[in-house]
Amino acid sequence: MSILATKDTHVVIQGGVAGVNAAKRMAEFRYMIKQPMNVSAFVYPPDAGKTNEVICGNQTVTIPIYKTVAKATAKHPEINTSLVYVGADRCYASAKEALDDSHIQTVSMITEGLPEKDAKLLGKHARTLKKTFNGPSSIGVMSAGECRLGVIGGAFDNLVACKLYRPGSFGVITKSGGLSNEIIWICSQFADGITTAIGIGGDSYPGTDYVSYLEMFENDPQTKAVIIVGEMGGDLEEQAAEWYGAKKRRVKLLAVVSGFCQESLPKGMKFGHAGAKEGLKGEGSARAKAEAFKKAGAVVPETFGALGPAIQATYDELVKSGEVTPIPELSEAEMPALPRSVEQGMKDGDILVTPLIKSTISDDRGDEPYYQGYPASELINKGYDIAHVIGLLWDGRLISKQEAEIIRRIIILSADHGPCVSAALTTIIGACAGIGLSQSVAAGMIMIGPRFGGAVTDAGRYFKYAIDNKMSVDEFLGYMKKNIGPVPGIGHRVKSLRNPDKRVKELVGYVKSLGIPTPHLDFALEVEKVTAAKKDNLILNVDGTMAVVLVDIGFPTDSLNGFFVLSRTIGLIGHWTDQKRQGSRLIRLFNYLVNYAVPSRREVPPLK
Amino acid sequence: MAKVLEGPGMGLLKKWGLQTPNYVVVSSGDEFDQLAQANDWLQKSKLVAKAHEALGSRFKLGLVKVGLDLPGTKAAVREMLGKQVESVTIREVIVSEAIDHTDEYYASATSTREGVEVMVAKCGGIEVEANWDKVKRILVDIGEVPTEAALSGLVKDAGFSGDTASKMAEFLKKLYTCFDNEDAQYLEINPVVQNAAGDLVALDAVTLLDGDAKFRHKDWTFPFAAEFGRAYTKNEEEVMAVDAKVKGSVKLIEIPGGNIAMLPAGGGASVYYSDAVVARGGKLANYAEYSGDPPDWAVEVLTEKVCSLPGITHIIVGGAIANFTDVLKTFGGIIKAFRKAKAEGKLDNVQIWVRRGGPNEKQGLAAMKALQGEGFNIQVFDRTLPLTDIVDMALSK
Repeated sequence: MSILATKDTHVVIQGGVAGVNAAKRMAEFRYMIKQPMNVSAFVYPPDAGKTNEVICGNQTVTIPIYKTVAKATAKHPEINTSLVYVGADRCYASAKEALDDSHIQTVSMITEGLPEKDAKLLGKHARTLKKTFNGPSSIGVMSAGECRLGVIGGAFDNLVACKLYRPGSFGVITKSGGLSNEIIWICSQFADGITTAIGIGGDSYPGTDYVSYLEMFENDPQTKAVIIVGEMGGDLEEQAAEWYGAKKRRVKLLAVVSGFCQESLPKGMKFGHAGAKEGLKGEGSARAKAEAFKKAGAVVPETFGALGPAIQATYDELVKSGEVTPIPELSEAEMPALPRSVEQGMKDGDILVTPLIKSTISDDRGDEPYYQGYPASELINKGYDIAHVIGLLWDGRLISKQEAEIIRRIIILSADHGPCVSAALTTIIGACAGIGLSQSVAAGMIMIGPRFGGAVTDAGRYFKYAIDNKMSVDEFLGYMKKNIGPVPGIGHRVKSLRNPDKRVKELVGYVKSLGIPTPHLDFALEVEKVTAAKKDNLILNVDGTMAVVLVDIGFPTDSLNGFFVLSRTIGLIGHWTDQKRQGSRLIRLFNYLVNYAVPSRREVPPLK
Repeated sequence: MAKVLEGPGMGLLKKWGLQTPNYVVVSSGDEFDQLAQANDWLQKSKLVAKAHEALGSRFKLGLVKVGLDLPGTKAAVREMLGKQVESVTIREVIVSEAIDHTDEYYASATSTREGVEVMVAKCGGIEVEANWDKVKRILVDIGEVPTEAALSGLVKDAGFSGDTASKMAEFLKKLYTCFDNEDAQYLEINPVVQNAAGDLVALDAVTLLDGDAKFRHKDWTFPFAAEFGRAYTKNEEEVMAVDAKVKGSVKLIEIPGGNIAMLPAGGGASVYYSDAVVARGGKLANYAEYSGDPPDWAVEVLTEKVCSLPGITHIIVGGAIANFTDVLKTFGGIIKAFRKAKAEGKLDNVQIWVRRGGPNEKQGLAAMKALQGEGFNIQVFDRTLPLTDIVDMALSK
């Protein structure tokens, strides 16, 4: 048995992210005690109609979110408890809404910084309705083996370490969240653990008091002793002492009170929780409270550290008198454990997962990207350039200075080609239509294909085929004519022998000046001699030149179009930002630029 | 609880219809001179000048001057401004009109668990403290307002009669309205006096408001004052500024003269740690606390301040077993500040004692323990050591 939060508790959580977090913790507890999730609903108006997903052991539980408590309890009539995780400025209304709902008997509030006036009103309202308002600033309620309300108890391993999977014999009431967990731990080490631990919150006017819970514990046969962790300030401890001393109680009472340090502090200096303040006339001091407990017959250890042995002594007495039968400990194998995540399993080395993809170029799992194992910062600091990164990421190798210079020149030569070509025009139309950068640039990119800029790979592939197969120029042209068609990389719409492409001249001149072997370039120039002789504009174009040069320095043919795509991206981004800067408006084609070769107007026949 | 200085406190009383003497709050002598030209009452009345700072026993410190004429006030204002009293510099002076009176009364309202206690006495000033039995009280239940009958019964009970009785009942009604609407926790008017016209005037007030209710009082534009008879220090103010910004909380109060620096977690445990130090005969150098899983940088700021306390010999990094405060993360902030403080020589001959549990406790404690290898004098314990035993060990050496 337990009090306040039991196996029959069904919860609605009022609040957003923090509430979902609490639900996750509560789900871990439910999994530990092998019970289904006990949070039935959330109330969070901004997300009403949606659901929250909470992992409960090895399953995901879907919990609906409602706009109001009434809607939640109408759908889930089993709800009898609300947990309030709403900000201080709005949580009075939330808690009142829950208290006013006929299904709900208990409202526990974790919110800190609730105005005192609101707390007092809520406490009174709950008392009038004969309900329980626990908090504000309450860490929650933990009933071992039965129910966890809120985040009390901490992480899963702590729940297990504190044996919260089964009830013990000690009840706990504290104002402090951290200390509730500490006492739960002490009870599990010096005795058989807790029945229920309640955080009532450290505010000046908590909605409940020690006495109401002492009454509940007194009526819970499983609870044999109660530990109160008190603080200076107010008179709730005195009331608890009075209750205990008033008549013979079934439960034993142990109490510690904090705030003795106040006696040696400058007057008026206040420590700790909001409620931990001495009265203006010195009432509510730690010493007065400790004395009151002692007088009432409670066990009052001198320090917090002495609490463990005091609990043990009480436990030993209970065992000796036969009121408590020691619970056999679980073996290591019987200990509850959360299902491990895949990550943890792999870390532990006993799960094998077949990878979905394989990457051989880069790794960003560390503190910076590594390209082929080289840290990016080190490449920068040792003078490497963007061309070297291209070499690493496209061909898996650190290219030479000379090769990097060739790539640099290719990029400069191909970066842009004016606004009229299909890719640039498309990007400009996109920019004028108000389309974003990445979409407009991508639209321009789509234009790169066999007729524009996309012939580099094919050119490289066929010239390489010729060299690999030791073809003569005639054999090659014959092969192409028979099997492929026009030779990719040969021919230009505008340029010709008489009007040569300066970019080609520049690139060929530079590469030839290096004195490196250039079999593909040489072969392509031989091919040009033959084709240009047939027709003046069948010259080696810039795509073809780039292709043979790049094949000569070892780049794989599949990567070749990438050089044009990369270079032209620079131009396309330029065109997009250019149009933006000008505030260009939507453009459309003029009618006079269209040959409307369509049938003239005619009547639509009836639909058959 | 948030203390409000006299000026804004009087402002709130006026807002709810209670009569107060005329007053001005000034921060320079020239400002006062200009106000004196603009306001008749400053030229005609006898005046009272008081340092407008959160200082106890201002009278003894010579920071209250009564029965002044205008030139005397001008001199008093200039004399007080800029004066250094302990850690506090007088930045403001409140000058108010002296009210001629014969009788002094007492009126107050206090928030209690059951509601609001409204108190009144037919004596005031220091006399009331010696005659506490003359103070009569009624309890106004939570959410209620005091009835006319209850108030007139109360003032009669306190010995008021005739016209003054009905005026005092009316005064208390307004006092309650002010208290209730302004989210006050304590409102004491002492003395209440009767002026020449027979009206009740609030001569001096102690006002404590609920700082948590600030969100619904747009006109609380005044700063809150420290409650312990001194102004906040720079370090305290900086930690408060961080506290106001973050999820969770970080808190610091400096106690000059102590040598045991405190850096514990949790509003509850931190007081037990302080108790343990005092019980062992140690002298606290501060109170500190972090809780509610604050970000690591906030804990780092708090740690820096704690390490900077003068003359410390020990730092107690205590804490219970946290529910959801991440030990590894918060310790990360502490460790960062420790390293910085050590590099600045602030931790020479300082022993650090650590005890903690909670989420990621193993990793957090291991990180703390690793500081031993960096030359820190640090002892680290886990949950198996009782909460405050590190204090016993630290102070027995």
